[in-house]
Amino acid sequence: MVMSFFRKSESGLEHVSHQTISMLGDARHSFDLASTAVLSGADPGAIGADIEATDRRINEAEQQLRSELVVHVSVRGSDDIGLVLGYTLLLKKIERIGDQAKNIFELATEGVSLVGADDIDEFVARRQEISLMYVEAADLLASQDIDAARDFLARSLELNDRCGAKVREYMQSERPGSWAVPRAILYRYWKRIVANLAGIVTAAIEPLQSIDYLDDGKTDLDD
Amino acid sequence: MPKLPPALARLLPLPRPARAALVVLLIYVFLVGVSSLEGGIKVMGADTQARLFDNVDHPLAGLFVGILGTVLVQSSSASTSVIVGLVASGALGVDAAVPMIMGANIGTTVTNTLVSLGHVRQSNEFRRAFAAATVHDFFNVLAVMILLPLELITGWLSSIAQWVSDRLVGSAGADWESPVKKWVKKPVGWIEDGLGAMVDSDNLLGTMMVLVGLVVVLASLIFITKNMKTLIAERVERSMNAILGRGGGFVAMIVGLLITVAVQSSSITTSILIPMSAAGVIKLKNAYPVTLGANVGTTITALLAALAASRPEALTIALVHTTFNVAGILILYVIPILRPVPIMAAERLADIAVERRMIAVAYVVGSFIVLPLVGVAIFR
Repeated sequence: MVMSFFRKSESGLEHVSHQTISMLGDARHSFDLASTAVLSGADPGAIGADIEATDRRINEAEQQLRSELVVHVSVRGSDDIGLVLGYTLLLKKIERIGDQAKNIFELATEGVSLVGADDIDEFVARRQEISLMYVEAADLLASQDIDAARDFLARSLELNDRCGAKVREYMQSERPGSWAVPRAILYRYWKRIVANLAGIVTAAIEPLQSIDYLDDGKTDLDD
Repeated sequence: MPKLPPALARLLPLPRPARAALVVLLIYVFLVGVSSLEGGIKVMGADTQARLFDNVDHPLAGLFVGILGTVLVQSSSASTSVIVGLVASGALGVDAAVPMIMGANIGTTVTNTLVSLGHVRQSNEFRRAFAAATVHDFFNVLAVMILLPLELITGWLSSIAQWVSDRLVGSAGADWESPVKKWVKKPVGWIEDGLGAMVDSDNLLGTMMVLVGLVVVLASLIFITKNMKTLIAERVERSMNAILGRGGGFVAMIVGLLITVAVQSSSITTSILIPMSAAGVIKLKNAYPVTLGANVGTTITALLAALAASRPEALTIALVHTTFNVAGILILYVIPILRPVPIMAAERLADIAVERRMIAVAYVVGSFIVLPLVGVAIFR
């Protein structure tokens, strides 16, 4: 521990940045497991411990990184204050999408399974699309590529609209509640996850006051 | 702390090797300042020297002068370096300087206490910040209450320091040929010649040399601290994070010591702890040992100053500073029953200060300004 004073390693915010990306990896892991439980009928009992452990890891990382941000400001003063506040928002968003994966998993523990459903292919495709967005968001956090981020945000807005439309479609469906409600809830969670991923990417490229907003503040991502 | 305008600061990003070289140069300038101070006192007549230092013959007067002087410059590194310079000149004896050194230790705690007042509007934050700041005060005051009477009765602190000093540089009273003294001789000679050309009286020349020495010591320490803080900010951050993650006790103490030795300022180390404590990121029992490490670490500056001195007594008084702080830790931290005393006192005072905010302000003004002033007036 004392040797940490002498060792050369990444700086405070570099460490926070790397850990943030690692948290996104964990959040994706939870999302994939939870969605698989609903879509492929995996035994919730078998994957529950993994999801819980991953969630605990995300929560602990969030608390640890918040402390590190306070230490950073205490040592460096207010030079990086915008970045530090941005990271606190970012961390909260990642923690939230971790929780939303848990919410999806709760659907599985309640007995929701879309295995063999006639619309399963559509759900699997959407899950795959969102899962890849975690990877893309992590890459964008690392690269800070503004053009790629704008492209990501446009696609996430479009996917968000599609998810919203599906929620409305299921709400108005004349099929039984046991068929429509789980689908509407699943799409609702996915919509929130996509909005939070978009928020994470805005945090990487936009000034602090514009995080979660697009088009000069006119579009609120965090609906 | 002087701060460059942000626009200018961005234009002048000093590369690390250049900054490190600048720090070495500043240390040299600091040693020139200490030597000029010593030289200035020597140039003054014996009568003037006696008049100057008769007032601090009483140990409590010395203690309060140490507090006031340090509060004035907000740096025990600076005030103890000046004391080392005075002892090096022979005008101030080691015995008279010991209480001043202890006073400097108390005075330096004002900086983080002032920083903690910045949190006064948020009760919970303020409670934690004020406790983290005043735990340093309580430790230093308790250490003085225990060690000063012992020192006055037995002289044990100065005896230990004397013993070490004798082995390192020779006996008191003898001239010590410090190699550093040789390096700084020329610039001090230039200062003396330059000022000597402007004034006739030895007393005036001595006073001007002392003033130049003081300004040089203060300015160089400010810039050493500023540059070192920039150079080692990443290391400070990493080691603070390591303490938060797993450390405590003696590990935290060593981290506090290392940071303070590097930045040459205990105020920087202890002030970093205040926002962390206010935010609740570090607990008081973990911040406390960092503070104690900083107390020991800050003695490096006086030891450095002693390198530019021509008398072994200068090193003796610098070693008294180190010995005093180490002894304080051995008594107040290592003895389990005494360890929680400064923490409990700080928490109690913080509780009171949260109830009545004016008490916090009265505490700072009363303890660091009024009481020492009254003390000097009574005991001089």
